[in-house]
Amino acid sequence: MALAQLTDVVKRYDSKLTVDHVNLSIREGEIFGLLGPNGAGKSTTISMLCGLLKMDGGSIVIDSISVAKQPLEAKKRIGLVPQDLALYEDLTAWENASFFGKLYGLRGGLLKERVQEALEFTGLADRAKDKPSTFSGGMKRRLNIACAIMHRPKLIIMDEPTVGIDPQSRNHILESVKALNKLGSTVIYTSHYMEEVEAICDRVAIMDKGHIIACGTEKELRERVAHEEKIVIKAGSITPELITELKRHPRVTRVEAEGETVELYLPSSQSELQDILFIFAKHGGVIQTLQIEEPDLETLFLSLTGRTLRD
Amino acid sequence: MTNIWTIAAYELRRLFRSRTMLINLFLLPILLIFLLGSALSGVIGEGKDRTIHPFRVGIVDAAANPSERSQMIGSFLKSPGVAEIITPEIADSREAAVSGVRSGEYGYAVIVPAGFDQDVQSGQQAKLEYILGKDRSDNMVAATVFDNFLSKINYTQAAALTLGPQAISAMLEPGQASPSVVLGKLNEGGQSYTASQFYAASMLMMFLLLCGQMVITSLYSEKDNHTLFRIGSMPVKGSELFRGKMLGIGIVSVLQCAAIIFATHFLFGVYWGNRPGILALLCLLMILASLTLSVTIAMFAQTAASARSISSGLTVVMTFISGGMAPLPDSWVNTGGAFSINHWGLRGVLRMMLESPLSQISGSLAMLSLICLVLLGLAFFSYRKVGYHA
Repeated sequence: MALAQLTDVVKRYDSKLTVDHVNLSIREGEIFGLLGPNGAGKSTTISMLCGLLKMDGGSIVIDSISVAKQPLEAKKRIGLVPQDLALYEDLTAWENASFFGKLYGLRGGLLKERVQEALEFTGLADRAKDKPSTFSGGMKRRLNIACAIMHRPKLIIMDEPTVGIDPQSRNHILESVKALNKLGSTVIYTSHYMEEVEAICDRVAIMDKGHIIACGTEKELRERVAHEEKIVIKAGSITPELITELKRHPRVTRVEAEGETVELYLPSSQSELQDILFIFAKHGGVIQTLQIEEPDLETLFLSLTGRTLRD
Repeated sequence: MTNIWTIAAYELRRLFRSRTMLINLFLLPILLIFLLGSALSGVIGEGKDRTIHPFRVGIVDAAANPSERSQMIGSFLKSPGVAEIITPEIADSREAAVSGVRSGEYGYAVIVPAGFDQDVQSGQQAKLEYILGKDRSDNMVAATVFDNFLSKINYTQAAALTLGPQAISAMLEPGQASPSVVLGKLNEGGQSYTASQFYAASMLMMFLLLCGQMVITSLYSEKDNHTLFRIGSMPVKGSELFRGKMLGIGIVSVLQCAAIIFATHFLFGVYWGNRPGILALLCLLMILASLTLSVTIAMFAQTAASARSISSGLTVVMTFISGGMAPLPDSWVNTGGAFSINHWGLRGVLRMMLESPLSQISGSLAMLSLICLVLLGLAFFSYRKVGYHA
């Protein structure tokens, strides 16, 4: 059963289509990943889903409630973790959570209980009386999450919640997302970090230039590019002639070279590996390491758009 | 409504956490009132009634013979009222009059040109020359008396030229002439205000207008902190957020207003009049005007810095042209100053300090109400047109 349904959603800025007839169905209880490079239209889609932006076409229904017709009712079911930190630096962590909790309609003992619960969940209970100005980037990100989950929303939307934080905090947040999902919340997780989406999401939609270009489970998406493999070679003395000859190889679909690393995409590495090694030897390229990688979402994005996620 | 109170309560909490804000709100106005009131007390007065004592005025009649001296001036100086405060003394020449004024022999001197009476009777231009003395009050009294005399002559001349010579005799019939000098108080039954009172009122008006700066800071900080984005995703109407903020800042402004009034009353003895209800109403209208003006500016300005610059610039200009920084000539204040919000607030408060009747205060109240109505309309229009969103 779909908890959130986006049907032919359109958003224009001036004459440019930022979100172009997007159709998505987010099932109750899943972690749904929305993957795409910067400027793909993820945040605009999220903004419309939360009732922050008006749609120019289509409809969004959350828990059988139309966002356009009953925005306040729909918003009660959502907890948004914005991409940018949305906190009051002059209020303590407790006061921040308490303020947003009150705006979700929580009062008295229930409010206290939920604020405590949210701060404990994000590992900030012992810093409840401190102001965010004294927090590290990761702690601020966690408080940003705490402020969105106190009312136990059916749908939690996390818009790039791990931008600019250390690996430890990132892991903590990813574990939190899984824990929230286990507690019964449906999660929409947007990111341009493929690894994060692969690690936690049940299903993934890949977005580019306002379109959904692929949608399915990670396994389904990988199968779409199962015919492609990636060889990552680290070598010394890489010359332009070497790269040119690699590109000329009839079975190599794409070559990416940066510094001492060369990435090659080709249908089957086993049959062509000897040829590749021969080209390196011919041009004096001294191979240090060689790695054959399974196709991933990055590979899929590349094969669909001709660009990498971080382009 | 619950959301509005929640937003207002947290707005208050955040405002009261800022030490800079507290200093600007509560300490700075009181300090300014103290400094301006003490330093400029000589400009405005001490709030005491001044008794006018008779003083000598040197009269120089330029006529060649004593028989040709001005009869008009002579009889004017002997008229009731004038004789009580001016003691005329004949001086031989202009030089003698100047010397007498310098030595303090005369408080003032007047040079009457030769043929003054003939000029007046023939409808020619007739002027008197004044030599000012050392005492500011004596100068003011003498100038008022002789200006009044010349005004009457002008009036008589104009009547004679338009209605004929018989008009002069008709105007001089018993009961028609009013006394040349009447001593009394401009504010009958009341007091005059002190420098502290004046600056307490003008600074109160200025700081109430400046409370709009808090609106601008608050509206823009919500955008800069991205909290507006989060609140937009919550079950909160945009207008609730807006009204909550206005309510919070409005409460702070009321507290600021009360603090200025009570502190100046108890610390500097500033008397705010005997109509606390109307004083409160005037202050509330000023706060409303300030909030709505700032909302309009904030809606159309590109950045917080430009909005703050426009708002503070307007406040300073309005305070200056309303005569709030230093007393300006009435003619300026009543022309240019009338276009400022402060003018009406300051006028109303000063009238209350002088215990003027309600009829003299109601004009200011009505004008302030009208200004608030217009600004409220503008703020509403700009909110509808531009909106408040991340």
